Amino acid sequence: MSLLKRRIFLCLIGICAGLGAWSVAEMILCFQVDFPSYLVFTLSLGGVFGGIMGGFFGSSDGIIMSNKYRIRTGIIHGILFGALGGVLGFLTGQAVLFIAGEYLLHSMKEFNRIGLPVSRALGWSLLGLFAGVAEGIRARSVEKIRVGIIGGLSGGLLGGLALEYARIIFPDIMLARLTGLLILGVCIGIMYGFAEARLSFGVFTLLNGRYKGKDFLVNQRRLDVGDSDSCDIVLKGYREVNPMHAKVHVKKDEVFIKSSGDGRAPLFVNDDKISSHRLKIGDVIKIGTAKLLYHYK
Amino acid sequence: MKILTVLKRIFVFTILIFCSVPVLAQSVRISQIDTSSLLINQNVRLYVGLSDNKGLPITGCTADNFSLFESQDGKTYTRIPQITAFNPRANYESGINFLLLIDNSGSMYRSMKARGKFLKSTKIQHAKNAVATFLESVSNPEDTVGIAVYNTYYQCLSDPVKDKAKITRQLSEIQKPEGEAGYTEIYASLFRAVEEFKQVKGRKALIILSDGENRPYFLNTKKVHPDFGTKTFSYTEPVRYCQEEGISVFAINFGDPRERKERHLKEIAYETGGALFDARDESELRNVYSRIADQIVNEYMIDYPATMAPADKKFVKVVYGSGPLKKEASRFYFSSTVFGLPMKNFSLFMLIPLLASLCLAWILSQISFKNKRKEAFLEVLNAGQTKAVTKMFTLNKGRTVIGGSTRADMTIIGGPVPVKENHATIVFDKQKKNYTVICDGEITVNNKPVKKRVLESGDVLDVGGATIVFNDDRE
Repeated sequence: MSLLKRRIFLCLIGICAGLGAWSVAEMILCFQVDFPSYLVFTLSLGGVFGGIMGGFFGSSDGIIMSNKYRIRTGIIHGILFGALGGVLGFLTGQAVLFIAGEYLLHSMKEFNRIGLPVSRALGWSLLGLFAGVAEGIRARSVEKIRVGIIGGLSGGLLGGLALEYARIIFPDIMLARLTGLLILGVCIGIMYGFAEARLSFGVFTLLNGRYKGKDFLVNQRRLDVGDSDSCDIVLKGYREVNPMHAKVHVKKDEVFIKSSGDGRAPLFVNDDKISSHRLKIGDVIKIGTAKLLYHYK
Repeated sequence: MKILTVLKRIFVFTILIFCSVPVLAQSVRISQIDTSSLLINQNVRLYVGLSDNKGLPITGCTADNFSLFESQDGKTYTRIPQITAFNPRANYESGINFLLLIDNSGSMYRSMKARGKFLKSTKIQHAKNAVATFLESVSNPEDTVGIAVYNTYYQCLSDPVKDKAKITRQLSEIQKPEGEAGYTEIYASLFRAVEEFKQVKGRKALIILSDGENRPYFLNTKKVHPDFGTKTFSYTEPVRYCQEEGISVFAINFGDPRERKERHLKEIAYETGGALFDARDESELRNVYSRIADQIVNEYMIDYPATMAPADKKFVKVVYGSGPLKKEASRFYFSSTVFGLPMKNFSLFMLIPLLASLCLAWILSQISFKNKRKEAFLEVLNAGQTKAVTKMFTLNKGRTVIGGSTRADMTIIGGPVPVKENHATIVFDKQKKNYTVICDGEITVNNKPVKKRVLESGDVLDVGGATIVFNDDRE
């Protein structure tokens, strides 16, 4: 999948996240009066809302890579971290509202137009942050976490502002909140995709075979290459590929590739058999029958 | 017998009323609502002031004297079952914010009459002296004082500041109104003052110095007021606004008692929990500050658990006493949640978007963008600085030419390295069923210069700076 398709997928997953989270949140809202306190209500709403957003975004890498194993682990991590983010984001947002709201309601003339939406958007950005870092934590990658922080935070803030202003501009439209949430989801998707591309060291593009054209971003310090589902670069459907064939690692901003299993797995760079190699832009890597081009995007 | 029974009932009724209300209150006001712990422990804290008909604080009440109610719309109220904490002297530490609203109408520039004699100085001079006296008595350094004047127009001279010397300086800058500026817009100015003063956080007291009755510009001239238009304010409007914002109005009356006075000033003061003072009595004037401070210190602090009814702002009503003599005050606090208000009715249709999103995600997970092409082809992956006329070319002939001429099967032009007319030829070997590249010009395959080489699927050719991928996934 090319980077463009990857971004489109992220946006579509963002739409799924917004749609799903809206549905559940609206149902919880209907039962607000039955909650014992604002704290329990906020924790429940934030946890469920964030969990759903996180679940969808956590599955995105697996969906894009067509990797069921990664979809499963991504959903679990996404739900956990999304729920945590939702709880923290909603608690922060609600605390700002209750503490500042009473004062601002009486004092700031522009409160409804500026103060309230901005403070709420900060809560959304916190939620976006946690939904974004789920994949990085799953992959145990500082780089991916960084992508998640930047993408999630900025997407959450932009989407949150859009959501809040959608509600102000169209207060009577029942679906304003849904529209806003869809924008929130898309914004997180776009910003995540943007941050992902900006912060990656390079890209491996599959040149042949069943998954020709698929891009693998080098956006974490270590990547496993092989035909096992747990690999970061999964080469399924290619002959002579071992489950753990090669490892890519980043050291001081330089990208290296080496064959796994003490160099026994055959690995070629530019038709030369190597056991370890520092990659340059334009290098052609051959693993089994799969060929990959290392380049910038 | 009948008369005796009626008398008995009246007696019991009267006793009941007096037992339930320890002291008759002239006003109840909620001066502040603290919702800072609403999220953590569901607690709403009210600061409630009670004043008698002289503006003096009523002390000694218990929680039983108060009933609390909450409402989503300000119309239908639900009783709060219990008061969780009650403190008869709210521990008040932060300062009080004062706004001095001084009458600067034409009549203030007439001589002051006191105890039947005309004094040499004008009323405005006396008003300034009264303010100076007041400023001297402000003892808490946390207190702030602001100043505004009114006549036909309302004019704020200074927002509340801690620097009292600044306010003293501002006093000397008050100018005599000229022409049509000399009318007395008391209610409109009071309303405008509350509008600005409400922005100040904490306890607020508004002190109005007035010498006469409300003389609106529009009613007296039939001309449209530049600020207030044709609107005529009633005294109840600023009263209601003050009650909503928890602002007490303390009025200082100037001039001879025989002169026409603003008849509603007393009601404005008492209904907002303030008091009325006579400017001729200097000792009373000196007490203004301590009266206000005393009133605030004697406020009641009442805690209660908030209801969970969804609303952007919730109204709370405090009722003091019961029966026909009860007094009540209401105010609202902010109760909006991050997500906002729910839809009117719950419906299972709300589940549809969730199911739709799960379906869409499942569909996305099934799309793998598998390469379905089974014939061999060349694809320009990156044209670099060249202009690749053909982006993709299916190798369905025995010989395929890549060159710099438009006659070539795949044309590459304009790059930094000149491309020959027949730069590279890809030949299909029918027996071995493979493709071989034979070069006339310089090319690389997988970054290695070659002249002739059998190609494998996925090999990368560099022709004149363009990156071309050879694909052969026929197997």
